[in-house]
Amino acid sequence: MLEIKGLDAGYDFLQVLWEVGLDVAEGEFVALLGPNGAGKTTTLRAVAGLVAPTRGEVLFRGRSVRGLPAHQVSRQGISFVSETLNLFPAMSVHENLLLGAYTVRDAARQQASLDFVFELFPRLHERRDQLAGTLSGGERKMLAIARGIMSSPALLLVDEPSLGLAPMLTLAVFEALQTLRRRGMTILLVEQNVNTTLHLVDRAYVLEQGRVVLQGKGADLLNDPHVQKAYLGI
Amino acid sequence: MTTAKNLRSVPLARRLLSATWITVGLAVVVTLLVSLRYPIILVNSLVTGGMWALMAAGLALVFGVMNIPNFAHGEFFMVGTLVAYYVFTPIHKMLLKNPSPLLSVVAPFAGILLAGVVGAVVGLTIEFLLFRQLRRRSKEQWVMNTFLLTAGLSVILINGTQLIWGTEFKGIPRYWEVRPLVLLGVSLSVDRVVVFGIALVTILAFWLFMRRSSLGRAMRAVAQDEVGAQLMGIDLNLVHMLTLGLSSALAALSGASLLFMFPSYPTVGLKPLYVAWYVVILAGLGNVEGAIAGGFIVALLQTLTSYFIGVGWEDVVPTALIILILLFKPSGLFGSEVKGIWEQ
Repeated sequence: MLEIKGLDAGYDFLQVLWEVGLDVAEGEFVALLGPNGAGKTTTLRAVAGLVAPTRGEVLFRGRSVRGLPAHQVSRQGISFVSETLNLFPAMSVHENLLLGAYTVRDAARQQASLDFVFELFPRLHERRDQLAGTLSGGERKMLAIARGIMSSPALLLVDEPSLGLAPMLTLAVFEALQTLRRRGMTILLVEQNVNTTLHLVDRAYVLEQGRVVLQGKGADLLNDPHVQKAYLGI
Repeated sequence: MTTAKNLRSVPLARRLLSATWITVGLAVVVTLLVSLRYPIILVNSLVTGGMWALMAAGLALVFGVMNIPNFAHGEFFMVGTLVAYYVFTPIHKMLLKNPSPLLSVVAPFAGILLAGVVGAVVGLTIEFLLFRQLRRRSKEQWVMNTFLLTAGLSVILINGTQLIWGTEFKGIPRYWEVRPLVLLGVSLSVDRVVVFGIALVTILAFWLFMRRSSLGRAMRAVAQDEVGAQLMGIDLNLVHMLTLGLSSALAALSGASLLFMFPSYPTVGLKPLYVAWYVVILAGLGNVEGAIAGGFIVALLQTLTSYFIGVGWEDVVPTALIILILLFKPSGLFGSEVKGIWEQ
């Protein structure tokens, strides 16, 4: 579904990604792991159209989305839940969710998505009319993910959903992602929480200093000596 | 209003004692007291207030959504007066020869509406030719650069108008040749009543558009988080075009509506521009709903001053009061939460 080939990208004169290649098949749950500054976020931003790659190719369902502006990438069916969440703080939870379905013109489909995310995150239903800027950290994450799936995207990119969350809430967020995956959504997840993530996903890539250094099934990577030494502290 | 919602958690007593509500409350009390003795003040404040509200709402919108401090906003007002004059005067002359009651009622509306449309087109053109080009090249020092750009644009538009249409006053005594209405013992020209009606209808339509429609929501989304808006599939170029078009249409509409008070000449937009800036600073930059309330407050201050102190003091007293308010509440009366998009 998503294929990245030989991707170089960066900011101004700083090149962050060096020939990054990865692919995600339909219905797959794939993680992108690695230390701070490895280029995980930049990879997602390049797919979402927020960073213009200098070289390489990004194919979505066989068609190139490289160089498209972010709003067009989003309309192709790729939804990006960023690390900073980019919520609309002075709008209610409900309005944030409606904006998630901005490209959906059909009112019935909009309502169905709304019902679905309220079922997935009952907490958001309680906070429906509260302003997004006044939510707690965990609720914000839930809102960002909920808003990201309101347009029923084919591919969901999630950047560090566990960042700054208490362990209980992290678990809730991961459970929600698993539910989405069971419903057939394809997910590319960026995480620092290596142990939990590897138990959860089908496959994973390890990114170090802007290059893919390892890839494989989640269970295999758990037994990989490099992963154990560098990320699991075994 | 968003601010009111946020205050829900604050105890009622503190909420009522906040500077915002003291000022708004005082404004209402003063209006009511004064209007008992001098109803004309209430009437005048409402008529100009409605139009200041439209001007200021447009200015606040452009600042909130695009982060542009628009110092050429007054020139859209000027465009409005010019269009209304050139549409209305020929029809009026024709009507003197062969009167038609229907046309004489409709003609002013046609002039005012067309002014709004032309204003929108001028706004769209400027967004396309100036701001989009700058945005594509560099967003560095954006607020300063666009300030200089709009200041320059204002000079060009004023002098261009002078070159083409000359400096003479192009005004009309009134839109509707009807006898004044008498209300609460005050005789009121029909023009003022209708203009107030236009302001109310426009404000209501604008408010509904911003609150209820999908595009209005997209505009507010861009104001609050530009990247977030793009990720939702919102086309920034479309929103920017819409914002500047809407803002300039509102300014042109108020210029055209007030043609009988402000005859058209090249620099007619400067005073409305300054007033709109008072209002926007008073209400909080980028706060559109606050700007609408602020429009009426500033109009009331101006009318009171010119009535009791003198017309020459009309700008002095509001400015002094705004300085006082800002000393105690630097973020403006309605403490806008919507900060500039590129400053977050």
